[in-house]
Amino acid sequence: MCTENVILEVSHLKKNFGNHEVLKDIDFKVHTGDVVSVIGASGSGKSTMLRCINLLETSTGGSILYHGEDITNPKIDAPSYRAKVGMVFQNFNLFNNMTVLENCMVGQIKVAKKSKAQAREKALQFLQKVGMSAYVNAKPRQLSGGQKQRVAIARALAMDPEILLFDEPTSALDPQMVGEVLEVMTTLAGEGLTMIVVTHEMAFARDISSHVIFMAEGCIREEGTPKQIFEEPKEAETREFLARFRNV
Amino acid sequence: MISNMNFLERIVYILQKYGTSYLKGAGTTLVIALVSTFIGCIIGFLVGIVQTIPVDKKKDSLPKRIFLAVVNALLRIYVEVFRGTPMIVQAVFIYYGMSQVFNIQLGMWQSAFLVVSINTGAYMAESVRGGIISVDPGQMEGAKAIGMTHVQAMINVILPQAFRNILPQIGNNLIINIKDTSVLSVISIVDLFFVHKSVSGALYTYFESATIVMVIYLTMTLITSRLLRLWENRMDGDENYELVDVMDIGSQLGKKRARG
Repeated sequence: MCTENVILEVSHLKKNFGNHEVLKDIDFKVHTGDVVSVIGASGSGKSTMLRCINLLETSTGGSILYHGEDITNPKIDAPSYRAKVGMVFQNFNLFNNMTVLENCMVGQIKVAKKSKAQAREKALQFLQKVGMSAYVNAKPRQLSGGQKQRVAIARALAMDPEILLFDEPTSALDPQMVGEVLEVMTTLAGEGLTMIVVTHEMAFARDISSHVIFMAEGCIREEGTPKQIFEEPKEAETREFLARFRNV
Repeated sequence: MISNMNFLERIVYILQKYGTSYLKGAGTTLVIALVSTFIGCIIGFLVGIVQTIPVDKKKDSLPKRIFLAVVNALLRIYVEVFRGTPMIVQAVFIYYGMSQVFNIQLGMWQSAFLVVSINTGAYMAESVRGGIISVDPGQMEGAKAIGMTHVQAMINVILPQAFRNILPQIGNNLIINIKDTSVLSVISIVDLFFVHKSVSGALYTYFESATIVMVIYLTMTLITSRLLRLWENRMDGDENYELVDVMDIGSQLGKKRARG
């Protein structure tokens, strides 16, 4: 990791739900081209952290600098920030009232103010990339989970995001569908897209990411290269967590 | 002479003599029901949308929050008052109240549209609010994640789905309005029920006239509910979809690029 080109700098991030501390003191940086995997047990605060980064949750302390600008400031224009930071959800959240193609066009037209023809071309381009271009006329309810997630990725990509956040993108999928989604994500990582991926897919985290963060109880317990985390973990907790996935 | 006729003969006699009056009355009923349900839906949507505006203590300024709180309180009062009192009383209250208190002389038609619209609006407001809340919160998050504002997300994503959810409610309200405009005869609107009262008063044929009116009301409501069901099916769209040839899209892309 180099020190320039920092896109995102999270420091002392805190989040409470009532008196329950979900995030205690989170510090990390994301550089252009990084693929950061966030691993850890359920309830360790991974998803909440990602949702704070996309302002879907309001953090209760600390700062998140996006190109040096603190986006936790209430005065920030959240919609235009979110347009540059894409998000892929565990439950896809495709728009049920639109076709696959419209799902990938609506943001470009309404938010990025592109013409219909431009939006259509770009939507088709990314749908082709995720292998869903044959399904442009389908409604989300007619698709399988893996197909929905690939469309959701195309929808996010069509906004030209500078960084893409994945919130457990394969956790709601049948095992045979996990592969098709991971394949798309691997391609994107190979093309240099900056990504933060909250995942339980250890093989993906080990093989694809440039940086791995291990979270437990609302804190970052250990972070480093995949080699450091998966082969030489320093913390006992990391070793314990990884031991459960050893057979993967 | 009418006293010598049997039931069917009386009905034929009444229809021959007053058939057009019944039809005009039915037309009046339909017009009031349709227009008022439409206006009521607009009121209901506006109220429901305002009531579901999210308030963020940290991000929204104090004046905005106070303004929203006051508006919401007024809207609650509106909904509770018009849902909680009979329309027949509301009609009298508004028709005579407007002239005595505000010195505004409303025509019968204006009063009729006003009463039925705001009554429907009060019911629809709750339906719309429920329809909006019942849309999966993930839809709003998905919309926000691609940079939509609350308003854009509502217009493009949430309201179309909420509308589909509450379409049966709208139909319900329309059918209720077709029947309940009968209470407007208290402010002398010449609707279907008013015609019935006039005819049966003139000929003393209560049962026969009521039979005719029952049939007309039932015909109107049955046709309405059938049409609404068709509309619902249309909104749901086709169960099937066409797979598109990937090569085809590729060539479309190629063409566009070549042109651009």
